[in-house]
Amino acid sequence: MAFRIKMIMPLVALFLVAIGYPLGYSFWLSLTNYRITKPGQTEFVGMAQYQALFDNAAYWEALIVTGTFMVIAVSLELVLGLAIALALRRQVRVRNMTRAFLLSPMFITPIAVGLMFRFLLNPQLGPLDLLLEKLNLSYDYFGPGNAIFTIALIDVWQWTPFMVLLLLAGLESLPRAPFEAAKVDGASPWLTLKSITLPMLSSVLVVAVLIRGLDAMRVFEYVFAITRGGPGTETQTIQYLIYQTGIQFFRLGQASAMAYMVLAIVLVFVIFLFRAINKEARR
Amino acid sequence: MKKRKGGAAAFIAAVTALSLAACASSDTAETPAATETTASETTASETTAAAELTGTVRVLMEGVPDTDVVTALLPEFNKLYPGVTIEIETAAYDQMRDKYVASFQAPESTYDLAIIDNPWMDDFADAGFLSPLDDQIANTPDYNYEDIAAPLRAINEVNAVTYGVPFYNYVLGLIYRTDLLAEAGLPVPTNLDELVSTAQALNTPARAGIAMQPQRGYKIFEEWGNWLFSAGGSIYDENGVPTLDTPEAQKALEAYITAYNSAAPADSLNWGFDEALRSVSNNQSAMMISYNWMLPALNKQNDISGDLAGKFALAPMPGGKQVLGSWNWAIPANASNPDAAWAFISWITSPEIEKARVIAGGAPIRISPLSDSAVAEAGFGADYYAAVAEMLANSQPLSQGPNGEEMIQAVGTELNSAVAGTKSVADALAEAQKQAVNIQGL
Repeated sequence: MAFRIKMIMPLVALFLVAIGYPLGYSFWLSLTNYRITKPGQTEFVGMAQYQALFDNAAYWEALIVTGTFMVIAVSLELVLGLAIALALRRQVRVRNMTRAFLLSPMFITPIAVGLMFRFLLNPQLGPLDLLLEKLNLSYDYFGPGNAIFTIALIDVWQWTPFMVLLLLAGLESLPRAPFEAAKVDGASPWLTLKSITLPMLSSVLVVAVLIRGLDAMRVFEYVFAITRGGPGTETQTIQYLIYQTGIQFFRLGQASAMAYMVLAIVLVFVIFLFRAINKEARR
Repeated sequence: MKKRKGGAAAFIAAVTALSLAACASSDTAETPAATETTASETTASETTAAAELTGTVRVLMEGVPDTDVVTALLPEFNKLYPGVTIEIETAAYDQMRDKYVASFQAPESTYDLAIIDNPWMDDFADAGFLSPLDDQIANTPDYNYEDIAAPLRAINEVNAVTYGVPFYNYVLGLIYRTDLLAEAGLPVPTNLDELVSTAQALNTPARAGIAMQPQRGYKIFEEWGNWLFSAGGSIYDENGVPTLDTPEAQKALEAYITAYNSAAPADSLNWGFDEALRSVSNNQSAMMISYNWMLPALNKQNDISGDLAGKFALAPMPGGKQVLGSWNWAIPANASNPDAAWAFISWITSPEIEKARVIAGGAPIRISPLSDSAVAEAGFGADYYAAVAEMLANSQPLSQGPNGEEMIQAVGTELNSAVAGTKSVADALAEAQKQAVNIQGL
C-alpha cells in the first residue's frame, strides 16, 4: 500500500466509525419495520417504507412547511445580512465591538432561543404585547397563518449574523480597484452594488444561501419549544415529524426512511445547484 | 406538570402522627392471643427481612413537586430498610420516555424502578419492558390493593396482568373563582351549556371567563376530553373502538370552540398548562379545567395567587365524568434489584404512607385517605378531598390499548385544527376518528 494511502487510513477509519456506521445502520433500519416497542418482531421490508411515504400526506405537507420556512427565513437573512455587511464594511469606529455584538445571537443554542421567544412573545409576559396593548393593537404571533412567519423571524434573528459573517468576509476580500474606478466614473451606490458588488460576490452569496438553506431544513428546536407543530399542522416541519415518528411514536424504521428521503431530495437539490453554478462560472 | 410545593415539616409531622396512631391502635386492639402471637411473629420476620434487604434502587422521575414529596419520605423508608438506597434522578417530561426506552432495551436496566405515564403503559407492557406485579401485590401483607381507586388500577392492567402501581393521579376538574361566581349570582355549572354560558357571563374586558389549553397534541385532547364527557360522549365504546365522530363529540367540540371564541383569553391558541395557570392565578381568568391538585396550590397563602388565595374551589366536570391521568410505579423487566424496588413501591403506596404523602401534598391514589378526617384536617380540607374522591370514581384515561401516545397526538392535532378554524368541526372529528382507529389497529 502506498504511503499516502496509509497516511489517510486513520481518517478513513474514523469516518467509517463516526459517520459511516450510524448512516449505514439507519439505512438498514429504513429497510425494516423496526419499532422500539416491538422487540423481536422486526422484519426486512425492503423499500416498502419508502413506497409508503409517497402516500403519506403528512410527510409531504411537512416538506412543504419546511420549504416555506426555508424560503422566508433565508430570503430575509440574505437581504438583511447583505445590508448589514455593507454597512459594517463602511464602519470606522467601534468596529470590533459592533461585530461581536451583532454576532452574539448565533452563539446561543437554538432551544434556548426558542424558549426565550416563547416568553418574549407570550401575551401574558412579553414586552411586545405590552407595547401593542398600549397602542390598542394585538397580534397573535402563533395563530393560524402567522405561526410559520413568526418561527421564520426567530430564525432570522438568530442566523442573520451568520449571513453577515460570510458576506462581510466576502466583501472584504474583493479587490478595491473596480470600486475605485466606479467612484472615479461617478457611478451611484446602487449602480455600484448592482454592477460590481453583487456580481463579484455571487459565489459567496450562493455558498451562504446554500449553507443557510441546508441548515434551515433542520429546523426543529423552535417548533419543539414553542408550537409543537401547531396550530393544526402549520408549523409541523419535517424534522419535527421525524422526531415524532421515531422517538415519540417509536417507529424508528419509518422515521429512518423519512430521513433518507429528505437526504435524497436535498442531494438532488444541491447537485443541481452546483451544476448551475459551474455553468454560470464557465460563461 | 407542576403542582404545589410539599411541606417537608408537614410530612414529617404526619408520618410521626400516623405511626403513633398505628401503634396506639395495635396496642388497644382486642384480638385473640393466638392471633396476636402470629401477627407479632409475622411482623418480626417482616422487620428482619426488611433490615436484611440490601441494594441500590435507581429511579428516574419527573422534576415536579410530587417527586419532592417522595424525596422527603426517604429517611422514613430507610428507617425500615436501612440497607436499601434509593437514588432519584430527575428529568424533564420529554426526556423521560427516551431515557426509559433506551434503558429498557439494554442488557441491564439503568433504572431498577420506573415511573410510567399512563399512555405508555400498554406499549411498554406489550414490549416486555415491565415486570408483572400481581404476585408481589398478592403477597404483600396489609397492602389493601383494592383501596386504590379502581380507574387508576385499571390503567396498570394490560391483558389482565398488573404491571404497575399508581404513584399519583392527575384527574382533571373545574377550578373556579367562588367570589366571581357569587357576584354573578351563578351556580357551579352542571352541564355543558351551563359551562359555556357561565364562562361567557364571567367574561369581562379585564378578565376572561375561562382560561383554556387548546395547544396542539396532548393538551387540547386532555382538556376537550372533559367537554366530550360533559356532552355525554365517550372516547371509546364498550368494545374499545374510538367514538370521536359522534353527535356528542360534535356538540362538545362546537361548545369548546364557542367558549374559546367568546370567553377565553385572546390569542391563546397555543396555550398549555403554564399559561392557563398563570392566567387564573393572576386574576386574568375566572375558571379553568385543570388537575385537581392545582386547587391547594392556588389557595395557598402568599404563593402563586397572591391576594386571591382562598377564593378558588374545585368541582367535578359538569356531567360528573372527567379525564384521568396517572403516573405509575413499575419495575423494568431487566432491573437488577427488583426485590428492593418492590419493597420501595409497596412502602410508598402502603395505606399509612399514602396518608402521610397526601397530607404533605402528594396527589392521592387511595380512596380511604379521602374520607379520613385526620387527613382532611392536616391536609387541604374535607371539601377538596370529597371532590377528588367523586372525580376519581367517575373518570377515564384518554387512551386505552396500544399506541396511546400517537393516538392522543393525532386526535389533538385535529382538534387544534378545528379550533384554529383551518378545518371544520365535522372534518376534524372524522379525521380524528379515522386516525385513532388506524393508529390503534382497531
